[in-house]
Amino acid sequence: MQAQTKKSLAVLVTAPMILSLALTACGGGSNNGSNAGPSQSAASSPSGSASASAPANAPSGEPVTIEVWANKFEDTTSEWFKKWTDEFNKSQSNVKVNLTIVPGDAWAQKMKAAQAAGKAPDVWTISYNGVANSAKLGEIQALNDLMDQTVFDDLYDNMKDFVAVGDKYYAYPWLVEPSTVLYYRKDMFQEAGLDPEKPPATWDELLADAEALTKKGVFGFSTAQTAAEIGWSSWGLQYNAAGHLPITDDWSKADLADEGFKKLVSFYQQAYQSGSMPKQALAGYTDAKPFGEGKIAMMANGSWAIGQIRNDYKDIVDKVGVAPMPTIDGNPNNTTATLGGWSLAVDGKSKHPKEAASYIQYLLAGDPNVVLDYFRGAQFSKFTPRKSVDEAMASDPEASKDAVRAMIAEKIVPYSKPEPIYPWDISLAFATAIESAMKGTDVDKALDKAEKDINDFITKNKTAGTNPKMQ
Amino acid sequence: MFKRNFRQDNAMAYTMLLPILALLTIFVIIPFVYSLYVSFYNWSFYQESTFVGFRNYYLVLTDDVFGKSVWIGLKFTLMVVPCTLILSFLFANIIKNIGPKMGSFVKTAIYIPTIISGIVASVIFVFIYDYTGGLANYLLGLFGVEPKAWLADVGSALPSIAAPAVWLGFGITSLIMLAGLYDIPESYYEAAELEGAGAFKKMWYITIPLMRNIVLYLLVTGFTANISQYELSLVMTGGGPLDATTTPNLYIFNHFRNDVMVGNSIAASLLLFVVLGAISAIIFRVLNSEKAVDG
Repeated sequence: MQAQTKKSLAVLVTAPMILSLALTACGGGSNNGSNAGPSQSAASSPSGSASASAPANAPSGEPVTIEVWANKFEDTTSEWFKKWTDEFNKSQSNVKVNLTIVPGDAWAQKMKAAQAAGKAPDVWTISYNGVANSAKLGEIQALNDLMDQTVFDDLYDNMKDFVAVGDKYYAYPWLVEPSTVLYYRKDMFQEAGLDPEKPPATWDELLADAEALTKKGVFGFSTAQTAAEIGWSSWGLQYNAAGHLPITDDWSKADLADEGFKKLVSFYQQAYQSGSMPKQALAGYTDAKPFGEGKIAMMANGSWAIGQIRNDYKDIVDKVGVAPMPTIDGNPNNTTATLGGWSLAVDGKSKHPKEAASYIQYLLAGDPNVVLDYFRGAQFSKFTPRKSVDEAMASDPEASKDAVRAMIAEKIVPYSKPEPIYPWDISLAFATAIESAMKGTDVDKALDKAEKDINDFITKNKTAGTNPKMQ
Repeated sequence: MFKRNFRQDNAMAYTMLLPILALLTIFVIIPFVYSLYVSFYNWSFYQESTFVGFRNYYLVLTDDVFGKSVWIGLKFTLMVVPCTLILSFLFANIIKNIGPKMGSFVKTAIYIPTIISGIVASVIFVFIYDYTGGLANYLLGLFGVEPKAWLADVGSALPSIAAPAVWLGFGITSLIMLAGLYDIPESYYEAAELEGAGAFKKMWYITIPLMRNIVLYLLVTGFTANISQYELSLVMTGGGPLDATTTPNLYIFNHFRNDVMVGNSIAASLLLFVVLGAISAIIFRVLNSEKAVDG
């Protein structure tokens, strides 16, 4: 009797396993078709559905559906995306683009989940610092054979480097923007007895001005104050402080010995501990809201903030001064910002790379007026990687008389560096040193820990010599 | 005769078990075995996965942040669970002793936080803890106290996140406690009263011992639920300041989001599973569960 029980148990346990294996196999198979079906479950029910659905190269009359995921940025950007995607769909009948705007904080997990399920979108937004690594991993594919060669000739030479690995281009650039610009309230400068036409030029001046500007309800200065935000927003200042980043170019060891790094960390420490900065951030680094509401007198923020101020805080626009971020020694030719920005790439597993690339070509690489419309919506707070778009912009009356834009273009962009592409953990280790110094740790100790953490990471993950740009 | 009946019963029982067994296999057993398998690989979605043995486990176990996150998870749980249990035990007693009309109103009222999602609660508390405009600092201001950086101070961040967790778990815990209280036969109390026992003695010798299974259940579920809490810190602090609120699940989540390869997060999840299992086993061992004397 016992033997019998055991046997029936065994059958009972194995039966559902086999059943579910069959189910999963079925689900996997149905992915081979195009993703024209509304959902996977609908496609997997009839056994022959995979072969019956649209073949890879759609016959005429049956448009190929391309999934596009775009990061959510400003509202004007989402509108631009929707508008021109509609235009693209209307302009031809071979490709139909499904656009999904994905919020930034949901992006990474949504993408990972989709990739794991083999349902990654055909085209997605990717920031420049991710291009080389994604290309190395095969997440995105080379565009050289998918797009006209001429569209790459339109790019500025330094911009080609942002999307190139070896002799191939893996994404088409959309915009660049400096990560760090100083915004200040001229009226508050005047009230505090400071010269509104003379923004601080060194870190010491900035600290002194910030203290003078701090009063009840107003903080003199704000910048990133959590490691996750300091990590990327301080790259420009790291270049400024030491002329290089805290790791050697071949990623073989930490390079933190420079005296400048010490000064950088203590700059953050003093700004925070003097009380010129709020003890708890009033908003994230990229958000100009507290500045727009008059709670902050000087703000470090990306060039995009001027767009937000012009769109949302029209009454203070005249009182806002914009200047390069102060430097360690006052030398205006120092790097103060990295050039971040976004591009569009074709997924490494896309079934319709040609059609996907045609969308990118239409949106970013074709008629300059399409992207110009985007830069106009962003209040010209961003910069184009294309020569022809810059020419078109020069003839745009609003862009050409924009003083802030001219200042950023002349005084910040030429000295800016591209964002580093090494693993985020390394940026985070250095940023953690800054944050812990702000919260009271000794500067030397904080930097020693960062050095140890970076070296540990390098040893454990064997990053030495893996820089894709050096191979 | 007996034998035949026995077998018939078995068949029936297995048939009834089949659906849940099938579901468990699909959603628990297979993913679990698969994740064990994947944890030995450098798992990539675009390239061939490569076998790396115990390397993912080695990376997680030698990562200071992981050990710290488990410790933070424990600290968080030790703040939340006792607080919730004591508060809801007291509150359940109050509900039991007020009139049925008032009682049902209070029961509904305290249940509301339970149906609010953790994300919404986090957002509400972010507003409460706002540095310049938040309710918490406004109240401090009434007493002339300087504003406090609730979520940015290493010392106060974790307790600040524990508060909404208590608030969220309080309602359902109270109701379960209340059900447990109603389950204790009135005759015990009457007998005790005849013997001249006071309120404290009744509580100590009747109520608390008979609530043991309820408390055990709430302890185990509370421990596992709170040590795997992550959305509160994800929304309110992002794990900061200086990892002070990075709970184990948030650690795993961050690696899942940022890492190029997924093996690391899976190894960490499996290790957390071991930690959770060990803690539950300890609780069961300490509070040896047994059937109540009276059904």
